[in-house]
Amino acid sequence: MHEEIYEIKNYFQYYILRYSGVILILVLWQILPEVGLLDSQFIPPFSEVVVQLCELTLKSELMVHVAVSLWRVIMGLIIAAAAAIPLGLLLGGWLTRAADIVNPLFRIFSQVNPFSLMPIFILFFGIGEAAKLAVVAWVCLWPILYNTVSGVRRLDPVLIKTAMSMNTSKFEMLKKVVIPGAAPSIFLGLRIGVEMSFFMLISAEMIGATAGVGWLFHNSAMNNQIPRMYAAGVCIVILGIVLNRFLIYSQNKLFFWKGSTHVFSFAAWKKNVSGFSKIQLLFVVVVVSAVIAVGSYAAHVSKVSDINSNSSVQMKHMQMDKKEHDHMNMDKMDKNKTHDYMNMDK
Amino acid sequence: MSYENINIKNRQYKIVVDNIRKVYDVRSQNGQDNERFLALDNFNLKVKKGEFITVVGPSGCGKSTFLDILAGLSKPTSGKVYIDGEPITGPALDRGIILQGYALFSWRTVEKNIEFGLEIKKIPKEERKKISEKFIELVGLKGFENRYPHELSGGMKQRVAIARALAYDPEVLLMDEPFAAVDAQTRESLQEELLNIWEKTNKTIVFITHSIEEAVFLADRVVVMATSPGRIKEIINVKLPRPRINSQIRTSQEFNLSRNKIWELLHRDADKKQTEVSV
Repeated sequence: MHEEIYEIKNYFQYYILRYSGVILILVLWQILPEVGLLDSQFIPPFSEVVVQLCELTLKSELMVHVAVSLWRVIMGLIIAAAAAIPLGLLLGGWLTRAADIVNPLFRIFSQVNPFSLMPIFILFFGIGEAAKLAVVAWVCLWPILYNTVSGVRRLDPVLIKTAMSMNTSKFEMLKKVVIPGAAPSIFLGLRIGVEMSFFMLISAEMIGATAGVGWLFHNSAMNNQIPRMYAAGVCIVILGIVLNRFLIYSQNKLFFWKGSTHVFSFAAWKKNVSGFSKIQLLFVVVVVSAVIAVGSYAAHVSKVSDINSNSSVQMKHMQMDKKEHDHMNMDKMDKNKTHDYMNMDK
Repeated sequence: MSYENINIKNRQYKIVVDNIRKVYDVRSQNGQDNERFLALDNFNLKVKKGEFITVVGPSGCGKSTFLDILAGLSKPTSGKVYIDGEPITGPALDRGIILQGYALFSWRTVEKNIEFGLEIKKIPKEERKKISEKFIELVGLKGFENRYPHELSGGMKQRVAIARALAYDPEVLLMDEPFAAVDAQTRESLQEELLNIWEKTNKTIVFITHSIEEAVFLADRVVVMATSPGRIKEIINVKLPRPRINSQIRTSQEFNLSRNKIWELLHRDADKKQTEVSV
């Protein structure tokens, strides 16, 4: 009995310590704007942000925006995986020389920020969904490709030798040895792809979209609804964390035979990890299907209104730019005036 | 050897290694030209059906190359190898290889690992289960069918590797230092177990090892190799009775005589080489 209490106490202590940094920031966030040290117009207190968040969730279909963003990530991932995994398996397993030759080229491509490729994507795919999916797919393609190739190459040669001594056909070797052996590495590539694309997507949604959490953030900023903007920002952060944890959890479940790494880094409470149970798998499939269904519907709806409102959004942008321009000109004129004064003084 | 000679001999012998030679093209020491490295030369061996042969030799003498050639994973530069009278053209299911480091498929359970060769052979599911159960019991791992390799000890992993190679019933087992990664005590008991399995299943075994004691303990004949180029120095008959039990054999006089003889063979040249270098 004592041991249990001790364990529970330790558990809480551990949690509190870990999140003390976050708690401190939240406390500051709440206090400083109220006290007045931070301008509450630009940084509203945390309670207001929370209120906005709840409002968004209950009234304005926050979940739909989340679903749209997730849908874009998932679709882009699928596209990238469909291209990268077969290519990676081929390059890693059989065409190793070709892999060495194209490696520098691929490395350069992977460093190119897709955001800066947006104009090219818009040129090819127009300003609709396809351009955003292309961004996501581009970001995902390179880590998946790279990790697939390295996963295949890192396979223990003894395994291949053993299978070859049994005269396994190339296809069987691929299916029974290469793919299961490289799977952890491939999944790592998928995970990196998801995380990076989520990152990119938020900024990509700020150009020419009418749905998605990035759009929500941008839209709130444009309409000067600051608490709503922060709420969207907090939502983005939470979404990213949840996504990341979910992926690590799946990784441990799928690849339990590797002697897994930590999930939340609490090795002390890790029970024996085993494979996905049927119920869990079903749950995941249902959630993902829901996301895809809702997201694609919302994205489609937004695409239709996209064309109508996009022109207006762009015009707004241009007008605002012009205003800024005028501001700058006026500044210049001011400067000239002060300059003249100074000259007159002299 | 003439064709008739080979034919006659093949009725007695399971494996006939006929004067094989293996040359590798490697970069020479200065990294410039391609040199030819003679890995195996003038290698002749005849193995009877059901015999247990061990191969000992210094590092780099071509033992593993020889095993690869027997398995069909590599081709000799000249010379031929015959199994049951047929020349070896490539890997096949009539030979099984067990390598150092177990090479278990970590994503498959013990049972599924053993069934791997059976899946390649396209044996139906129920029969696969029956066969794998039989071999799990043979290697003494009953109750561990659904464990994964990362949950097993080194000795258990090695037993799974042995069961996997035996399961699809090859007539020849090729073992490349299989017990090298296992601790010393487990090693000795695995050796005994291997001999038990061998006597029950009547396979022809070619076993490579670095340990002279292991070689003498297990074998009917010991092939002592030399290096640069890899060749057979001598083949020694081991006149120890069977079944060989650890407690009895390892202290017997015959065992130590054989062991010393092989040690001399292996190290006589080494001492010679040392003096040559110093001069």
